[in-house]
Amino acid sequence: MQFALISVFLLAAGTGYAQQHAVTLPDWSGVWQMVGPTIFDGASVEPKNGRAGDAGVRERPPYNAEWEAIYQKNIEAVKKGLFPDPITNCGIPHGFPRVMNVPDVYEFAITPPQVWILTENGPNIQRIYTDGRDHLKAEDRWGTYSGDSTGRWEGDTLVFDTVALKGWSEKDTILDRTGLVLSDQMHVVTRMRKIDANTLEAQMTLEDPKALTKPWNVTKRYRKLPPSTRAYDYACGENNRNPVTEDGRTLTLGSDGKPIDRPVK
Amino acid sequence: MKRTIAAIIIISGVCFVAQSALGHHSAAMFDNQKVKELTGTIKEFQWKNPHVWIQVYVQNGNGVKEEWSVEGGGPNSLSRQGWRPTTFKPGDAVSIRVNPMKDGSAGGQFVGAKLADGTTIGNWDRAEGAQ
Repeated sequence: MQFALISVFLLAAGTGYAQQHAVTLPDWSGVWQMVGPTIFDGASVEPKNGRAGDAGVRERPPYNAEWEAIYQKNIEAVKKGLFPDPITNCGIPHGFPRVMNVPDVYEFAITPPQVWILTENGPNIQRIYTDGRDHLKAEDRWGTYSGDSTGRWEGDTLVFDTVALKGWSEKDTILDRTGLVLSDQMHVVTRMRKIDANTLEAQMTLEDPKALTKPWNVTKRYRKLPPSTRAYDYACGENNRNPVTEDGRTLTLGSDGKPIDRPVK
Repeated sequence: MKRTIAAIIIISGVCFVAQSALGHHSAAMFDNQKVKELTGTIKEFQWKNPHVWIQVYVQNGNGVKEEWSVEGGGPNSLSRQGWRPTTFKPGDAVSIRVNPMKDGSAGGQFVGAKLADGTTIGNWDRAEGAQ
C-alpha cells in the first residue's frame, strides 16, 4: 500500500499537482472484470437473464415516446440481424457510458490530477480530470466518444460528471446490443468506490433531456481477478473476418477472405 | 497443457465461459438454439484478435472434404481460460460443437471441442436450446 501511494505521487510529480494537493487515494490496482453479461441495465432487462443481441431482449429506461420508438425500431433491427454494433468497424471506441459495460478486463489508474479507466477490449481510455478543473464551456466542446469527464474524490469515492458525448446522433455509440441508445445531450454522474476488497461499484445517474423523462439509475460492478492476471493488447483490425454491409448485415469471411454467407434472396 | 486447460476451466467457472462467446459484432448469423457437431481435422488455428478462428476439414454426407470456419472468443479472454496458440494444431483430429450459421453455410460459433485424447474444452456438454 505504501508503495502504491509513493507511485501515485511519482506519477503526478511532473505536474507539480501532488506537491500542492496532498491527497490519500484508494488502491484500485490490479485487473478487474465486469460482473454479469454486457447488458447495460441488468436490473430492468426483459426477459430476466436476457442477453444483448438476442431477439426481443430489452431494458426499461425512462424513455419519452420519441426515444421509446427509436428503441423499438432498433429492437426490430436486432431481430432481423440488421443492427450492427458500431465497434464491428475496428478502431471505433465503445464510448461512454458503454465503456462501463464491456467484456474482457479493466484497469483503473489513479493519480492525483487524473483517473484513467482502461479497458482491454477497446480502444477505450476514459480520462477523468480530478484536478479541480471545470467542463469545457459549451461553445468550446463537441460530442466525442468518451466525452468530457471532470470529478473529485469524496473520501474513497470517485465522483465524476460526463458531458459532450456523441450519443446516437450519428449512430456512433450504443449502450449495448439490445439497441439501447441515448442522445448527444446525455449527462452522466458516476459514483465509484470499492465496496469490499475485491469489488468495485459504479453507480451511474443518467439524465438526457432529449430522450428520458426522468433520471435513470444504473449500477455496474467489477470483480478483481487473481494477481497473476495480465491484460493484453486488443488489435481488433488484426484479423477482422466480420465486415458489415451497407444495409447493416454482418458477414462472415472464410479463410480465403471471401464471405461464406449465402446471398440474401 | 491439456491438464492446465481443464484446471483453469474448473477454477474460472461460468463467468469466463459466459463472456467467451461475446465478440465485437452481432451474432445474428448464428443459431444459438442449435448445436451441430463437426468431426474432422484441423487445417489452421488463427490465434488473433478480435476472434480466434478454427479452420477444420470435415467430410460431408457425400464424402467430399469441406472446410468449416468456426469462430471463437478473443484470444485474451480465452488465454485466461487456459487456451494457447497451440490448443489446436494442423492435422489434429477433433470434434467441435458449434452454433451453426442460420443460412446453412459452412460456419459456426464455437461451443465446445473434444480433442483426440478425450480432453474437452469449452461448453462441450451444452444441450440444444440451452445458452
